[in-house]
Amino acid sequence: MNDQLLAAVSLYGAPALFGIVAIAAIGVPLPITLLLIIAGSLISQGVMNLWWAIAAAGVGSILGDQIGYAIGRWAGPAVVARLSRVFGKRANLEAMEAKVKAWGGPGIFVTRWLISPLGPWINLASGTAAYPWHRFLFWDILGELTGAALFISLGLFFSDRVMSLYAMLGDLTWAIAALLTAIVLGYLLVTYLRRARPSIPRQSPL
Amino acid sequence: MGETWRRTLAVGLAFLLAIAGTIFFATRATRQARQFHKANEPIHEWMSVPFIAHTHHVPASVLFQAIGVQPRQPQDRRSVRHIARDINRPVTELMAQLQRAIDTAAQPPGGPPR
Repeated sequence: MNDQLLAAVSLYGAPALFGIVAIAAIGVPLPITLLLIIAGSLISQGVMNLWWAIAAAGVGSILGDQIGYAIGRWAGPAVVARLSRVFGKRANLEAMEAKVKAWGGPGIFVTRWLISPLGPWINLASGTAAYPWHRFLFWDILGELTGAALFISLGLFFSDRVMSLYAMLGDLTWAIAALLTAIVLGYLLVTYLRRARPSIPRQSPL
Repeated sequence: MGETWRRTLAVGLAFLLAIAGTIFFATRATRQARQFHKANEPIHEWMSVPFIAHTHHVPASVLFQAIGVQPRQPQDRRSVRHIARDINRPVTELMAQLQRAIDTAAQPPGGPPR
């Protein structure tokens, strides 16, 4: 299916890009980063317009994110539970709710483009956690437009290296994710070790 | 006490795993960055002939000629798979012909170096 979607963007341009990113933002796993890089390459070849591409990708993703948020907030626990079963486990959604509460706006921002696989979960969890809609919308617009502009620009500048760029970005994203995990775990480890160390009573000065 | 140490051990192992993952993916990304301008871009079924022509710096007309297809318009954006279906030929055969045409175009005039 991915091949057909990639061919559709090449053939139909911005309208196809809009539809695909909106569907992906709701939670269907699709190679959006690759699509945006390809859109950049198509702009460089004179097939697509830069501003139309950024607008289609940005507005499409924001629309999909808003649908995800609305489902989480207003569709009720039964629909959310069913969606959770389709895309993963209920436990995942609960963990995401905790992340939304802990990270807030910056968390929404980075999951739009840097850790984008978490994006649909954060949308649902923001809704179920009743995160204020106007704040969600603000960070969502900021993150999605940043992501669209970044990946389309990369595709534009490296228009003849699309697949190599995608492979490199994939590894780089995993490296960043692993590094962030290591930092959090390292902090936890130090905290546990300090707690586990037996306290030495201080000697009072003579 | 036992519970605390078990938890510390689990976090420690997860920490080591995360460090190993960081090193693994960072090494791969660095290797790909080094080969960025040298590596050959692969041909995929979803790519259009002008797209392949652009990524390999070969005129699209040369590639259309190589597969014996007359482009429908100046910018024929049909994918290789779509063209294969239209002309009723296996997509792998078209891709092999495109690759040969790219290799030939990349050779310096007068044939390959001896």
